[in-house]
Amino acid sequence: MPTPVVEDLLRALAPQVLAALVRRYGHFDLAEDAVQEALLAAATRWPHDGDPDNPRAWLITVAARRLTDLLRAEQARRGREQATAALMPAGDWITPADDARRLDDADDTLILLFLCCHPALSPASQIALTLRAVGGLSTGEIARAFLVPEATMTRRITRAKQAIADSGAPFAPPTASERGLRLAVVRHVLYLIFTEGYAAAAGVGLLRPDLCAEAMRLTRLLHRLLPNETETAGLLALMLLTDARRPARTGPHGELIPMAEQDRSRWDLAAISEGVALITATLRRRQPGPFQLQAAIAAVHDEAASAETTDWPQILALYELLREASDNPVIALNHAVATAMVHGPRAGLQLLDQLADDTRVATGYRFHAVRAQLLEMAGEPAAARVAYLKAARHTASLPHQRYLHARADRLTPTPVDRRTDCD
Amino acid sequence: MILLCGSQGDYDAMAGKPGSGKPAWTGADFAALGTFMEAFNRELAESGELVETRGLTAPAYARRIRLQDGAPVITDGPYAESEEVLAGYWIVDCASLDRATQIAARLTEAPGPDARERAVVDVRPVAESRDELEP
Repeated sequence: MPTPVVEDLLRALAPQVLAALVRRYGHFDLAEDAVQEALLAAATRWPHDGDPDNPRAWLITVAARRLTDLLRAEQARRGREQATAALMPAGDWITPADDARRLDDADDTLILLFLCCHPALSPASQIALTLRAVGGLSTGEIARAFLVPEATMTRRITRAKQAIADSGAPFAPPTASERGLRLAVVRHVLYLIFTEGYAAAAGVGLLRPDLCAEAMRLTRLLHRLLPNETETAGLLALMLLTDARRPARTGPHGELIPMAEQDRSRWDLAAISEGVALITATLRRRQPGPFQLQAAIAAVHDEAASAETTDWPQILALYELLREASDNPVIALNHAVATAMVHGPRAGLQLLDQLADDTRVATGYRFHAVRAQLLEMAGEPAAARVAYLKAARHTASLPHQRYLHARADRLTPTPVDRRTDCD
Repeated sequence: MILLCGSQGDYDAMAGKPGSGKPAWTGADFAALGTFMEAFNRELAESGELVETRGLTAPAYARRIRLQDGAPVITDGPYAESEEVLAGYWIVDCASLDRATQIAARLTEAPGPDARERAVVDVRPVAESRDELEP
């Protein structure tokens, strides 16, 4: 059992070691296996033998030896031997870390991120590979995080590595013309990892590793490597400001508590002040983007002492900018809520009516839940009740159903309300 | 394979659906069930007997496909309100059918309002290979 210190060190070094191997030899798939075996060896031996003087060099040596074995085995199977001779002895290229070398390590980690988030892969594969190769999580941990059997996750990762090998993508940073798009894919993958963790936080399953913490760690890393990318800073701020509310987001029995009813004294003030400082500094650079705008909205919510004192006009203005930048159905719904908070529920309901034809929006439970909330605000309890029940039918999640049914239960129909059109 | 059965009515009670005719579950009921199931799964995982386990969503979300006049016809939510259908399953790899039965019997101890009288659990051996199914 590795100590937490050894474990942290190994997870920090894993992407550097993998990158060094892939840079030198190619063979992303086999290199990844070799690094996993070297990490395993380190985790079992270091606690007994003591940490080596240069842990990174130790890992590269062991992983390179293992990769040589794996390549030999593969080549023997294919009846090809010539490439073995091309392998240099591992000791020839290990140098103690100095400043120049460390810069290379940073570049290597970045290239590895780009490679794991390669456009040839499906989002599910990009996520799995990123967590495995850059995050250093075991296949079993990733499988538990996504609630799939370990064998399924093993196949997914193997296919992803094969797809990278087949695509012939070199171990090199993307070209200048591709760079912006590729970086956006990396950020999107990190965002998906975070939202997966955030959505799961309310469910059962103590065995699930903390995907939010992992997503934040990797985003911090990306931000450190490319500090001038404002959208990466925006993403990190958004994660900090959203995760800050987590302690107040669920009740004692795991039930969801909407933001308006959360106990704000339980919000994480340190995370909020870091997130606010980051997004404030980033917005000053005047290169806005969707993540920065979402972070700014989260900051306005987090800075309000109570739900009643929330600066809704500012949030509405930010959502209007955001809708120009992004065609996201969830953003459209939140925009309708913000409109209702500023201009009254009727204005919000009118916006919802315009969205009713968009099947991406109107078939999800959120659409009906928002409609119910606005109808309740508009003083139409019977129609609101019908909409809450309809929303409950549109989700298979029991916690969501329980929340929506409880809302509906509070609104008993009265004779006056029967006149209302309740679809 | 251990099969746990339940009806749409049971799901509605768990989801707190108004007028479902059964005692609605409270948050504490859910927490107790969650704790029980986590301990149950953890013990099976630690003994190395657990292969896989899954819970299914309410039968209302089921679809049935059947051939009608030579064309496949799809029905949404094909089950009656009180019909007992598969709600979740465990695949266990253990010494004998008796051991699997012993494991399955523990599921009747799962806490919940009105749960003890209604819980139906089946145990069915998985065929190991095609040879067991063909002459």
